[in-house]
Amino acid sequence: MTRNTRARHVRFLRSGWLLLLVPFLLAGCDGRQSVLVDGGADARILTDLFWVMLTGAVVLWIGMNGLFYWATRRSPAPHSQRMANWLVILGGILFPTLTLGALLVYGLTLMPDLRATGDGPVIRVTGEQWWWRVDYTRDDGSIVTTANEIRLPAGVRSTFLLDSKKVIHSFWVPSLGGKMDMFPGRVTEMTLGPERPGIYRGQCAEFCGESHAWMAFEAEVMAPEAFEAWLDAEAAPAVAPTSAEAGRGAALFLSQGCGACHAVRGTPATGRVGPDLTHVGSRHSLAAGRLGTSVEDFAKWVANPGAWKPGAEMPAYDHLTDAQIGAIAAYLEGLE
Amino acid sequence: MRDSDHDRQPHPRGDAHEFAEERESLWRITLAPTIWAFHFVISYAAVSVYCFRYDHLAAMGTLRAALIAMTALMLAAIAWIGWRAFQRWDVRGTGEFSNPEGNAEDRHQFLGHAGFLLALISFIGVVYDTLPLIVLASCR
Repeated sequence: MTRNTRARHVRFLRSGWLLLLVPFLLAGCDGRQSVLVDGGADARILTDLFWVMLTGAVVLWIGMNGLFYWATRRSPAPHSQRMANWLVILGGILFPTLTLGALLVYGLTLMPDLRATGDGPVIRVTGEQWWWRVDYTRDDGSIVTTANEIRLPAGVRSTFLLDSKKVIHSFWVPSLGGKMDMFPGRVTEMTLGPERPGIYRGQCAEFCGESHAWMAFEAEVMAPEAFEAWLDAEAAPAVAPTSAEAGRGAALFLSQGCGACHAVRGTPATGRVGPDLTHVGSRHSLAAGRLGTSVEDFAKWVANPGAWKPGAEMPAYDHLTDAQIGAIAAYLEGLE
Repeated sequence: MRDSDHDRQPHPRGDAHEFAEERESLWRITLAPTIWAFHFVISYAAVSVYCFRYDHLAAMGTLRAALIAMTALMLAAIAWIGWRAFQRWDVRGTGEFSNPEGNAEDRHQFLGHAGFLLALISFIGVVYDTLPLIVLASCR
């Protein structure tokens, strides 16, 4: 064994060690915002598509490299004209035409299922900078407004009517299905048929300004009865927390003018500029997936929203004392 | 002098210059891609206008049948153009693939070669354009 080949073997072994890291990288493919985790039929269709494409690409990659190897190492002599002609006709025309044609037919046959008509709730989602306005239309025609969280009944297809206020956003819950753009002044429609209850994460998928990356939401898939119960509770006016601190917070909320932008149904706060806060304490996240839902998180946000979400329209309330901000946070956290 | 430039055999039909109409052929090679372009624009425009506003006037099946009939005609036209170009290339008669000489007959055969390949890719393009019409039955 010459020095040269030994060096090559050592290099190969080192690169082999790197392969051991691959499982750790692949662990990133799991989780509640992964395309490969299917929470419903749509995501399963897309996951299958992904595996078919990946398998095909790997086979092609190996085949092409095999050909390169064969042509440069195994049989480097010039081929006959006849052989070259057949190589071009079969490998250059027939094979790609048939392969791409088959992929096209496969992709097209998937589309009707992905765009099936909804038989569940109709949910209007409006993209704002950088949060989501969510309106459920109930059977009696009444509308229940909430924000930054979408709840869906498992086992039925929900219809989404997507709109935007100012710029283009894109609505995407990777574990539940494909994405759909949201345009100002035009309503796009998509349906999703989630099946497996759980809390998934959605994300704006079209660059929409400086806090685009912080524009997320939780999508909770619930058993149908649990969904109905939740929607009933969501439609009801706010139940204010009873502690003395929260009471001070409620008064401050109104005196500081928060109600000009935010609605807390059942109180004089009826603003429509910012997210509806009627049941904000019962959500899974604050500020469109930016923060958690502890009292401390509410306090951090109220004190300086721009620190957490650059460019946010909400002003900082840093002129208030910590105790005052704590009171507002206690009030909001208690709005369940 | 010519023979020292290269060692090709004399052109098998070097004395037959009866097809020296390369100016006309230059236009002719654009025919197949033009049909493909029209097929693309007509199909997509018809389906989007229909689905946007006029889906109550007629069934989707009627529009699909009409467009598929148009496709069949266009494919037949492209096939005919391709066949004519293949004959002009005359690869089976001359055994020459690339026609590297600069004389009128070579240009004529080269344009046949190019026209044949363009007809081939146009045929494939039109078939691909038509697949959604065959597979998808509704506007959704």
